[in-house]
Amino acid sequence: MPHVISRKPRMAQSGRPSGLPADKNISSSVTRVIVKTAGKQEDFMIADDTSVRQFKEKLSAHFKCQMDQLVLVFMGRLLKDHDTLSQRGILDGHTIHLVIKSKCSSRSLAHSSRKLLTKEPCHWDRNTEGNSNGVYQPAGVSHTPVESALLVEPDASKMHTQDLEVGSLEYIAQMLQNPSIQQLLSNTDLMRQFISEHPDIQQLMQQNPEVSHILDNSEILWQTLELARNLAIIQELMQIQQPEQNLEHPLNPQSHSGLETMPGGDNVLGQSYVDYNDQMLNSSQDPFGGNPFTALLEGQVLEQVQSSPPSPTPPQERRDQLPQLPTTRVIYTSSCGLSSITSASVTPNRVNHTPSAYATTISTKSRSHTCPIQQLAAVLALPSIELTQQPQAEDRDATISLDSSDQKLEDDLQPSDEQTSSQITGSMMQLLLNNPYLAAQMMLFISMPQLSEQCRQQLSTFLQQTQLSDMLISLANPKASQAILQIEQGLQLLATEAPVLLPWVAPYLWGLGWLPAPSCSYPDTVPWAWDVPDIVEPKHPECCHKSGTVQQRLQSLAGDPSHLPQAPEIRFSQQMESLQAMGFGNHHANLQALIATEGDTNAAICKLKRSQGF
Amino acid sequence: MEPPNLYPVKLYVYDLSKGLARRLSPIMLGKQLEGIWHTSIVVHKDEFYFGSGGISSCPPGGTLLGPPDSVVDVGSTEVTEELFQEYLSSLGESLFRREAYNVFENNCNTFTNEVAQFLTGRKIPSYITDLPSEILSTPFGQALRPFLDPVQIQPPGGSPVGRPNGQS
Repeated sequence: MPHVISRKPRMAQSGRPSGLPADKNISSSVTRVIVKTAGKQEDFMIADDTSVRQFKEKLSAHFKCQMDQLVLVFMGRLLKDHDTLSQRGILDGHTIHLVIKSKCSSRSLAHSSRKLLTKEPCHWDRNTEGNSNGVYQPAGVSHTPVESALLVEPDASKMHTQDLEVGSLEYIAQMLQNPSIQQLLSNTDLMRQFISEHPDIQQLMQQNPEVSHILDNSEILWQTLELARNLAIIQELMQIQQPEQNLEHPLNPQSHSGLETMPGGDNVLGQSYVDYNDQMLNSSQDPFGGNPFTALLEGQVLEQVQSSPPSPTPPQERRDQLPQLPTTRVIYTSSCGLSSITSASVTPNRVNHTPSAYATTISTKSRSHTCPIQQLAAVLALPSIELTQQPQAEDRDATISLDSSDQKLEDDLQPSDEQTSSQITGSMMQLLLNNPYLAAQMMLFISMPQLSEQCRQQLSTFLQQTQLSDMLISLANPKASQAILQIEQGLQLLATEAPVLLPWVAPYLWGLGWLPAPSCSYPDTVPWAWDVPDIVEPKHPECCHKSGTVQQRLQSLAGDPSHLPQAPEIRFSQQMESLQAMGFGNHHANLQALIATEGDTNAAICKLKRSQGF
Repeated sequence: MEPPNLYPVKLYVYDLSKGLARRLSPIMLGKQLEGIWHTSIVVHKDEFYFGSGGISSCPPGGTLLGPPDSVVDVGSTEVTEELFQEYLSSLGESLFRREAYNVFENNCNTFTNEVAQFLTGRKIPSYITDLPSEILSTPFGQALRPFLDPVQIQPPGGSPVGRPNGQS
C-alpha cells in the first residue's frame, strides 16, 4: 500500500493563533493521520487544529476529486466541515476512513465501460494508420469503411455492454460476434498488416525470423483467423490444453469431439506437423543444451503409443528434427484448424506417430521460444487461449495433454494402463527430480498391493532406463521398500509405546516424508502424525490409512489428482455409486470430493454441495 | 441542526462447524478451538458478509446458516445507508472482489473487521480474527493447508452487493 507523507506546516499559513510550541504537547501540532479508502491507505501529516474542511481540500487535491465527493468517517462519526480534527479527538496515528462518492453512480459506470470501449478502436486505429512499415498494401478503400464502422459500432454497443462485466471474456466474445469485426477479421491483408505492425510482433519477428514465415503464408493466416472467429473451436482447444480438467480419464470425450469438429481432424494434425516442421525448423536454432529426458520421453511415449508398428524412419527423422523445434502451442492450436495446407494423403501410422513425437518435443520446448509465440497469440486477440501459463510447469502438463490427445487421434483404443503410466511417468519424472524424498515415498506405495504388479515392474524398468539416482533404483527393489515399511511400522509402535523418544528420531521421519518437508519447521510436531491414526484406528489399517493420507498429499503435490486412477476409483467405487444415485452427476467432481474426504460419503456430499455452488 | 442519526451495528457470529470444532479440535489440532467462525455485519436492517461470491447481503439471519450462534454489539454509526452502499461498492472493487477470497488471508472475518472499523472505529473480537493463525500454527493445520487453501465458503441465501449493475 502506498504511503504518502506530505508535510505542510500549516502553522504559518493558518491565521489562527498557533501558540502551541512543538515541544509542549506529546502529540505535537503536526499529527500523522492515516486515511483509509477503498482498499488502500495513506499517511497524512497535518496540524492538529486543521479544520475538516481544510483537510478535505487537501484530500481532494490528492485524490483528484471534488470536495463534495469526500466523506470522512472517524469512529463511526461523520466529520463535518466546521469541526477541527482535534475537536473530534483525532490524534496521532488514528485512522480516518474516507469514502469518495461518485458524482452519480450510473454515470460512473458508463464512464468506466466507455473507457474500455474506446481502447479497442484506438488500438485498431493506430494499426491501420501506420503504413510506413507495411509490407503489404492496405486493402484500399474497403479499409476506411471498416475502420469507421469499427469506431461507430462500439459506441452503439456501449449500451449493451453495461450488462457485461467490463473487460471480461464475455465482452470480447461479444465483440467478436460483431459483424463488422468479423468482416475485418476475414480481410486477410488487413489482418496481416495489423499483426505485422504491432510493435510486439515486430519485436518477435526480430527475435525469431521463422515467425515471419507464418505471417507470409496466407493460408496459415487465414486459417488462424478462421479459428479466431470460431470461439467454439477455441474452447475445445482450451480443453485439450487444460489437462487438469481433462484427465479424469485419459480419453476425455469432450476434447475428442473438439478435434472431430475440425475439418479432417486426424489428417490435418498429422500433415500440419509435417508442414510446420519443414517451414520452421530449417531456420531455427537448436534451443536445447541436451535435455537428458528428451530422449527418454520420446522413447517412453513411442514405446507405448502403438497402434501398429511404425516404420522406423519417420519417427527417427522426426526425432532428429524435432529437438530443434521451437514449435509452440500456438502453432499447434492454429494448425488444428488447418485443412488446406497439404493435400497428400496421410497414413494412419503417420498420424499416430507424428503427434506423439510432437508431444515429446513440445513437452521439452525451451522457454525462450515459447514466450514470443505466446505474444503472437496474445496480439491475435485470443485471450481465451491461456498461453501465458508458465512454460516450466506446462512442459509436464503439455506432455500429459498431448499424450492424451494422441490417444484420441488413434482409432483403436489403447489399454488404459499404458496411457495411465505414460501420463504418470511424465509428471512423476518432474516430481522425482524435485524431491527425492517424494520418490522414496512413492516407492513405498508401489510396494503396496493396491497397485498393479505391472505398474510396478514398468516403473522399475523405467527407472533403470533413466539412470536415475541409485537411491530410487534401490527403492524399487521390493525388499528394500518392505524394509522401509517395517521401519515405519516400528516407529509407529514407538510412538504409541514411548512417544518421548520420538524427537530423537524426528530427522529420520522427515526424511521419510511423513511431514511436509521444507515448509514445516516445527521440531516438536513429530508426535502429531502418530496421534491421529492411533486414536482413530487400530494398528494394522493405520499403515494404509496414513499412506492414504500421504498418498493424497503426493497426489496434490503432483498436481494431478487422477494420478493413480485405479486405486481411488476402486476404493471409492461404492461411494461413487451412491453419490451417483443421489444425483451428483459429475463423476470427476465426485471422485475429487471422495479423495479429499477419504471415502467419507457424507463429507463428500457436503463438499460437493458447497463447490457446486449455491 | 438535528442530531445525527445513530444506527446500531451488530456482529452476527456463526459456527460453521456446528460444535464439531469444539469437540474435535483438541484431538486434531492439539489446542482448543471453540468454533470455526463465520461473521457478518448487520446494520440498517441488513446483513452483509463476504464469501467466495463476493460481498453479499440478505435479511438478518437470512442465510442457510440460520440464526447466529452469538451476536456481538459493535457500537453505533452515523454512516447512512447510502454512504454505506458506496463504501461497500468501493470495497467490492478493490479489496473484496470475489476473486480475492482466500479462506485464510482474506475471508469473511477480514471483511467484517474492515467494515466494523469503518462503521464504528472498533475491531471485532480477536478470537475471531485470530482463528486462521491459530489453525495454521498447528502442524495439522500446516499439513492441511494446501487442501484448505482453495476452499471457498459462500453461505447461500444472499444476493450480491456492489456490482456494476447496481444490485443491492
